[in-house]
This record gives sequence, C-alpha cells and structure tokens, in this order.
Amino acid sequence: MSGPREFARSNDSLETLFEYTSEFFVRNRLDPRILPIVDFAVEELFTNMVKYGSSDGRPIEVGLACVDGGVQVELVDTGVEPFDMTQAPDVDVSRPIEERTPGGLGLHLVRRLVDSWDYQYSKEKRQSRVTFRKSFAKRAAGAAANDGDHNAHD
Amino acid sequence: MLTIEGAGAGVVVLAGRLDAAQSPSLQAYLDKLQGEVTLQCAKLDYISSAGLGVLLKTQKRLLPAGGKLRITGASRHLQDIFQYSGFDQILEIEPAP
Repeated sequence: MSGPREFARSNDSLETLFEYTSEFFVRNRLDPRILPIVDFAVEELFTNMVKYGSSDGRPIEVGLACVDGGVQVELVDTGVEPFDMTQAPDVDVSRPIEERTPGGLGLHLVRRLVDSWDYQYSKEKRQSRVTFRKSFAKRAAGAAANDGDHNAHD
Repeated sequence: MLTIEGAGAGVVVLAGRLDAAQSPSLQAYLDKLQGEVTLQCAKLDYISSAGLGVLLKTQKRLLPAGGKLRITGASRHLQDIFQYSGFDQILEIEPAP
C-alpha cells in the first residue's frame, strides 16, 4: 500500500510520477506487465488535469492501492470546476488519416485499457476525484481475441 | 527519459519512454526529416497519446510528399496502443520478434 503523494502541476512531474508507480509495483511484488497500462492511464488523467485544471498552481494528489486481483489508482485535483473525464466522447479511430487528429485519443484509450473508472466531484471542496482499477487477469476488450498465445500477457 | 539517435538513411533509434514531457523533443527531431523515416522502437518501453500525436503529425506531413513513417520492433504495449487507437491502420508497424 502507499499513501497518496502530491505532484507539481506540470508535465515535468511525469518522471517522478512514473518512479512512484514503479516503486509501488516493486514494493508490493505486483505483476509488472500491467505497469505500462497503469502508467498510461495515470499520464492521460494527470496531463488532462494539468491542461484543464486549476490555474492557482495547486499540486495534484495521486494515490495507489492494491485491491483484489489488481491495482486501484486515484487522482485528486482541488480548486477546479467539474469535468467528468469518464464522459469524454469516443474517437472514431476508423477514420482515414486525413481526418484524424490526436485530440481526445488519450481518454478514449483509457476507457479501453482499464477495467473501470469513476469520477466524483465535491462542490464544497471544488475537488475532482478520478479513480480507476486495472486487474492482473484481464486485458482490455478486443485484445484477447487478437492475442492467440499471448493471453497471459496481463 | 527518451533517447533519440539518428542511424542514417532516415532511421531513428528510440529508447526509453515517449510521454507528454518527452514528445516535444521527438517532434522537433522528426520535423527536420523528409522521405521515408523508420523509427526503431525495440527499446521504446512506453508511449502515451502525446507520443501518438507526434507520430500522427509526422505521418500527415510525410505522406503528401511521397514519404512515410515506419515503426519497427514494437513491443506488446506499443502494439496494444496502436491497435486501440487505430494507428495500426495509418502506420506501417513491424512488431518485435
């Protein structure tokens, strides 16, 4: 288990954020094969908060916990207006390259890579709280069908 | 950390992590290249949507001029991200052996 830690509201915090997740996995002897997915979701949610969140420079809090069969991650952003990232629209990834833009792709991918995610907002604290879970046994929908012998990947 | 090394003839060797903090340096590097560009990614451990944005922008710039972007040595993580983002349809991707 790991108590939540605060990270400066900057993309430059990513390196220390990834050290934090990596150390958590090592310390708790967790299956490292899901670490890139956990990092991916953490980065997309964190950078979204950096880009659209508070302008007063408050840090963003990130907490990790072991749950049955997986990991739960929580990101808390205080002093912000509500924005439910879990309701962000999907991206049509079948469009030809001429019509593709990178916008919205991050949250689109988080939705597919994690097992579940949840958003809560406290009006009193002006606080957004995003929580997601990733299990060791499951893969994102669609991957297993294409995996063949690689089903044990994560 | 991300390391970017030119290996001649449009070949670029990437190692480390291509995240939102590192993507601007790769974008600046790729913006100088023309024609067919191969990114050797065998030692690239991680990519996020910021990295995908770099690849998309580069491919959209190269294609009309007759060039293209090619990815080699893609790990399982990279393959998953390319698949779910539909980038496996707009980039030539060679998985790691």
